[in-house]
Amino acid sequence: MKIENFLEKHEIREITIFQKLVLSGGQVGYTEMVDHLDISKASLDKDLEAITFRFQSISSNVRIDYDGHMISLFMGHEFSLEQIYQHYLRQSIKVSIISYLYEHQEFTITQLAQKLTVSESSLFRKIKELNSYLKEFQIKIRNGRLQGEELQIRYFYYQFYWYIADKSALASRKNDDQVERMTQAMENFLQATLDPESKQRIGVWFHISKNRVNSRSKVYKTLHQQMEPYHEDPMYHKVRTMVLRFFSRYSIEVDEEEGMMHFIFLLAFPILSENDFHEYTLLRGRRTPTAALDTYIVETIIIQYNLRKLPYMLEREMYYFLSQIHTRMYFFKGDIEIYDYDAILAKEKKFTGKDLLSFAKQLRDISIGKLSIEETAGDTLLKMELLKYVSLLAIVTFQTATILQIGIDLKMESIYTKALNQLLVMNMQHINGTHIEKYNPKKDYDLILTNVPKGQKDHYGKAKVYVLSEILSPFDQKNIQEIIQNM
Amino acid sequence: MRVAIIGASFAGVAAALEVRKKFKQAEIILLEKQSKLGYIPNGLHLYLDKKIASLEEASFITEEQLQQQRIQIHLSSEVERVDVAQKQVSYQSPAGEDTLVYDKLIIATGSSQLSQKISGCDTTRVLKYKRFHEAEDALEKLNNSQQVTIIGGGQIGVEAADLLQKNGKQVTLIENMDYVLFKYFDKEMIEPLQAEMEKSGVTLHLNQTVSSVEETDETVVAHLLNESIVSDTAILAVNVRPDLRFLGDQIKLHTDHTIVVDRYLRTSEKDVFAVGDCIQLQFGVDKDTFYIPLINNAIRTGMVAAANLVEPILPFKGSLRTIGTSAFDYYIASTGMTEEESLFYTHPVSAVRQKIKLSSLPTAETATVKFIYDKESRVLLGAQLLSKANILDKINTLALAIQTNQTLEDLMQKDFFFHPVYTNLIETTNLVTWPDVRWGAYED
Ligand SMILES: Cc1cc2nc3c(=O)[nH]c(=O)nc-3n(C[C@H](O)[C@H](O)[C@H](O)COP(=O)(O)OP(=O)(O)OC[C@H]3O[C@@H](n4cnc5c(N)ncnc54)[C@H](O)[C@@H]3O)c2cc1C
Repeated sequence: MKIENFLEKHEIREITIFQKLVLSGGQVGYTEMVDHLDISKASLDKDLEAITFRFQSISSNVRIDYDGHMISLFMGHEFSLEQIYQHYLRQSIKVSIISYLYEHQEFTITQLAQKLTVSESSLFRKIKELNSYLKEFQIKIRNGRLQGEELQIRYFYYQFYWYIADKSALASRKNDDQVERMTQAMENFLQATLDPESKQRIGVWFHISKNRVNSRSKVYKTLHQQMEPYHEDPMYHKVRTMVLRFFSRYSIEVDEEEGMMHFIFLLAFPILSENDFHEYTLLRGRRTPTAALDTYIVETIIIQYNLRKLPYMLEREMYYFLSQIHTRMYFFKGDIEIYDYDAILAKEKKFTGKDLLSFAKQLRDISIGKLSIEETAGDTLLKMELLKYVSLLAIVTFQTATILQIGIDLKMESIYTKALNQLLVMNMQHINGTHIEKYNPKKDYDLILTNVPKGQKDHYGKAKVYVLSEILSPFDQKNIQEIIQNM
Repeated sequence: MRVAIIGASFAGVAAALEVRKKFKQAEIILLEKQSKLGYIPNGLHLYLDKKIASLEEASFITEEQLQQQRIQIHLSSEVERVDVAQKQVSYQSPAGEDTLVYDKLIIATGSSQLSQKISGCDTTRVLKYKRFHEAEDALEKLNNSQQVTIIGGGQIGVEAADLLQKNGKQVTLIENMDYVLFKYFDKEMIEPLQAEMEKSGVTLHLNQTVSSVEETDETVVAHLLNESIVSDTAILAVNVRPDLRFLGDQIKLHTDHTIVVDRYLRTSEKDVFAVGDCIQLQFGVDKDTFYIPLINNAIRTGMVAAANLVEPILPFKGSLRTIGTSAFDYYIASTGMTEEESLFYTHPVSAVRQKIKLSSLPTAETATVKFIYDKESRVLLGAQLLSKANILDKINTLALAIQTNQTLEDLMQKDFFFHPVYTNLIETTNLVTWPDVRWGAYED
């Protein structure tokens, strides 16, 4: 699902107005906006009014002014589009429904309609809509409860509180000390060092666990099958001990599955540091579905990139990220699309200059096959994990890129040579993965740029030679770019 | 002032006696659902240990003793509803449904051996024996059993294993954690006892959870992850829990379904107090409250609630979870925090273990003592004892030391007697620092 699925159509349109203004330097003409949104001028006016009303209380931070011709945005320096999004989400009915469900676990339609001051029929509609998005998580709101596998419910709530709802609302609630102590205990039991963000993540997760621990009729069917290969895992043992010990101090009869879910959480999200994770990989069994797949994918990447010598730290990093990707793919269904998929793809492509997507797809398909994942239509998780494969490949590309050595060997009067060398170097420096300098006969080069016709190039060794037709001409530049990309 | 107390076991009775002492005019009414008063929950163990000749002897109070104190006791009277707005309790007695209006209410309904997670554990071959009638039934069934499976390796489970094994039964014990008595002891401290347990023939299944129990005509089957254990009877020796459904949602409960109380044992409702096994208690130095169902806590909370009935004057001091028992030829005792548990504690903690002679004679027995203390302040936080000699009383010295914030150095200055027959150069509860006297100490 997407974040905007929590909003209504008109709310999304209002956000689009903000986006358009940000992208257009803060000012947009009426006609342009009307065209952009594909609505009537009257509707635009209504939207602008709604925005004014909505942001009334914080108008010193963010405000939209309009006069029938021009629309302009005022936004304080510490305010961003992201916060505008959050402002909308906080007022969203669908977000409120999920939050209520989280807090109360059960509701009747009358109760909830009263609480949210909406009619029962529109509440029904919203729930139906929510269910269509929850489907990919394989959970649903039914009979006043959230139903489905317990792990999926907690995973959904986690994504919800991490990305959508105000997580500080969770944290400010009572018993926060306890959650903090649990987090500290986790650090002690695992003998790991957690950074502030990991602690915050664990905090949210513990809140959810605590909230759910007593809920009735929890379902663990899939979890049992999935966990079977992990019963001997050393980290699972540590987590299990901690959970049992923790609950032994309360009058709670804890499910055996509680420890399993914590273990999965720790591996699926960036909780452990790369270093602590590495320590764990030295101890973990190699035969679990995810561990075996991590190795397989690393090897596939090595072969594809023809990496004879993989830098040690890069290999560790690859395992670190792959393990998170594979843990999620193996244990979870569904995701919330929080980054704009296409925008990220475009950015990666711009920087690496390579189309990593098709190889990433290949890797993802291998993983789907090896983990025997049943693909379901509209599972955002598989889409988002693909994006992670792309990012991982980008990291690998950056870190293993061989630097092409380019020498410039111009034969003309030295005053021209010197000036033109400088110009050429400046002009081509921006090309990623290249080092360009004045030709030095003592060094080896991959590519020589010269202005002398062929026949005299024997002393360049194995280097490829390009003879410039007209120095700095767009024609030459295009050809050189092409040569570099193909090298 | 009419004081109604629900539940007439340790907490309820202690509260009643203390109310009488403090308020001479009060009308005190105890409502108890059992037909028998004052049964001690380890009566069955006492009987198996031949310390008493019949279960009847396991009793800590009689109706006459209560009546002498002008305390009314209604047996076979189960409270089914409380109406805090009307200050009224409704109960079912042999004479039918009745109601009682109170000025002050003390909830002392305790706990039972029950499990919602282990499906099938309410069958007749799965024994519980906290109450008298349960114990009578359990005794009869145990007499007819050859193989007994004990679910849970806590104090009850380990004591039962010892006694049943001595009574010639074939015993299997299943424990969730990787060693028995994990709440009170660190692994290495309990190792000798656990080894003795296995040597004596008890089959141990550690790191195993019973998921369900099935009863057949002649046997009971406990299902673990990868195996099943068949025996004649099983004992449910898991943690006890309160059952407070009769309160509805009128009184605030914790996530673990215990009643929320303040330091004066007042509940969320005016004039309603809760004591004993239905509340959490402050544990040790932290402000954290935990569930520590022990008789000493029941009695102390009963007394403290009584003192606070009219105005809050006496805060409850908390519990250190002090226990002592013997099994498999060892005396073992524990108080306060264990080293394993210290991972939940926010300050750095250190631990020392020492083996020390108990007297100055050549034949002296030894004891292993473990101290857990705050690394910086060296204030004692917990202690564990293990010996072949009866050193149980020593744990109380250490518990008092923790309760009064003594450091390891303070402990060494205790003014205790010396006599070569009864003591060593250094008293058992002191940290030994002289190399010659020190038998084997392991400090981190
Ligand atoms: C086998 C066994 C051995 C134990 N051995 C020890 C030991 O050696 N040392 C130790 O410290 N602790 C021991 N314990 C723990 C100890 O039993 C409890 O901590 C203690 O009994 C708590 O006392 P209490 O008064 O709070 O509650 P309980 O003893 O549980 O008493 C509660 C009373 O309330 C009554 N009641 C409940 N609901 C209602 C109702 N609705 N209406 C009317 N009456 C009601 C019950 O019938 C019961 O009599 C043992 C427990 C077990 C099971």
